[in-house]
Amino acid sequence: MATGAALLLNALAREGVEVVFGYPGGAIMPVYDALVDSGIKHVLVRHEQGAVLAADGYARSTGRVGVCMATSGPGATNLITGIANAYLDSVPVVAITGQVATPVMGTDAFQEVDIFGMTMPVVKHSYVLRRVEDIPRVIRDAFRIAAEGRPGPVLIDLPKDVGAAATDLEPLGSQPSDLPQAPEPAALVEAAELIGAAHRPVLYAGGGIGIARATDAFRDFVSTSRIPVVSTHKGLGNVPTTHELFLGMLGMHGNPAANLAVQDADVLITVGARFDDRATGKLDEFAPRAHVVHMDVDASEVGKLRHADVGLVGCLHHALGNLEVQPDIDEWRARCLLNKARCSWRYDAPGSGVYAPALLRKLSEAAGDNVTITCDVGQHQMWVAQHCHFQRPEQHLTSGGLGTMGYGLPAAIGVQFGDPDALVVTVTGDGSIMMNIQELATIRRYGLPIKIVLIDNQCLGMVRQWQELFFAERLSEVDLSDNPDFVDVANAFGVPAFHVDTRAEVDAAIETLLTTAGPVLAHVRIDPAANCWPLVPPGKSNSTMLGRAHT
Amino acid sequence: MKHTLELHLQRGDGALVRTLGLIERRGFAVNSLSTSPQGVDSELALVVEVESAHRSVDVLTRQIAKLYDVRAVSLTDVDECILVLKGSVAAC
Repeated sequence: MATGAALLLNALAREGVEVVFGYPGGAIMPVYDALVDSGIKHVLVRHEQGAVLAADGYARSTGRVGVCMATSGPGATNLITGIANAYLDSVPVVAITGQVATPVMGTDAFQEVDIFGMTMPVVKHSYVLRRVEDIPRVIRDAFRIAAEGRPGPVLIDLPKDVGAAATDLEPLGSQPSDLPQAPEPAALVEAAELIGAAHRPVLYAGGGIGIARATDAFRDFVSTSRIPVVSTHKGLGNVPTTHELFLGMLGMHGNPAANLAVQDADVLITVGARFDDRATGKLDEFAPRAHVVHMDVDASEVGKLRHADVGLVGCLHHALGNLEVQPDIDEWRARCLLNKARCSWRYDAPGSGVYAPALLRKLSEAAGDNVTITCDVGQHQMWVAQHCHFQRPEQHLTSGGLGTMGYGLPAAIGVQFGDPDALVVTVTGDGSIMMNIQELATIRRYGLPIKIVLIDNQCLGMVRQWQELFFAERLSEVDLSDNPDFVDVANAFGVPAFHVDTRAEVDAAIETLLTTAGPVLAHVRIDPAANCWPLVPPGKSNSTMLGRAHT
Repeated sequence: MKHTLELHLQRGDGALVRTLGLIERRGFAVNSLSTSPQGVDSELALVVEVESAHRSVDVLTRQIAKLYDVRAVSLTDVDECILVLKGSVAAC
């Protein structure tokens, strides 16, 4: 007779799960025992946070549910940051945690924590699997919930005795998610009238478009309406970043042309975006003259932070496909495009040191349209958003909502397992890489050909920049100049690596990165004083952009 | 502003805590709360008076409606039902 753990793995297989990222331990041992006879591939990471972030990267790049597992207590708590990351960026992840046996739950048993309670604010839903007979239903429902509507993480806590219990039950069949409902027809008419009469409309495109796999519908709408487009951080690639009508990313480190267009807009068509503070700046002064049309699959986002004159709640494909508008905006479009030309990035920085924005632009152009770039968090993350080209949103994996330093490396592992032939580049910093550097061992173990660009300014650059600007240059705990030699570190993990110290070395470095067969790390030293411009100060209007109008 | 929410929850691990936690996390104080078994034993009826100076109760109600434990939620002011977001609540 099989066990609950074997039933759970069979149920995962029934959901189409091919790979699980995880780390074993006491309470989840029945599952790891059953794994030996399972057809599911398990990727052994070196820290549980690596498992959940790899599952996140797998999910974002493939569009499928990512799965991770860990044991109870510290194994489970190490998942929390990654679960929160998936929650804030709406990523479908199922996290399975071992739990102490049901008779000792609630007694402070060894490695017992209430992970169900701890994660409640950062999951879409969660379960404690107290009975073996509930396993088929819970697994089926967890996968449906994680993927349907606005996706998100689902946690399943599995007590050890339930995993070890004998059972002859079979998994249930997968239950496909219901498609989101179509928006109200009357609201579509209202939206069409508002947009059709607009003089200065702007499309504000967010990560929801890519999540809904609605990029084709969005691009058709852009082609028909000819309305200028700005993008959130997570929305990059909704239209190719080289698209004629794409003005750039908006917000704190956005392109001035994008921010100016939004501030002047009379109708803001918000598609799969949520008026996040990094995008809006001071909310009261964001798009101050604009009526808002807000399309979102999540009804609770409409009106949450900004009043919507028309809310189109439901399927983005349907909403975009049924809005036929061609506003007469030749003059406005020309003005936006003139601003775009005036605000184009410059790469002629003085000196002979490596200029990170120029390196990233060159890397992006050399890597082509099929590269997937994962980022960590900080200045380099914003430079990637500003200077790399993206043809599709799935090409750009970044921790947008939570800002999780340490995201990039494990996310790249997830992408590579989703598509072993993919060209995957991780751009990281000397602060971020140390958050999950142990995953170099995972990359080495599985021979993953991930290309790592480590941009090293010997400090926590974004924090240092803010301390200079907003804390009277009182630098506090940002110095990382005593980091180890990252080439030595990479070599110790069995990953080839090399230094890049001058601008003259950049072209050869990019070629080496892209032509090396396996994993490789380029350690790029840049000016420790380099800053990321432009910058809208926190709490200020997007009209208030500090720094040069172009880099 | 004070508002009264009426909810039906599916009984289960964390259903009550999840709902009340969301209300507080989204910026509302819980002024009063009563619970009672509802119809079949698997459901729990909740009447909650909430208060917030700045946040929209309409948005809160839609956030509550997203919870998978919530079978029905409605918003009432005084004794008049003004909004049903999900399912049906007997009082409305």
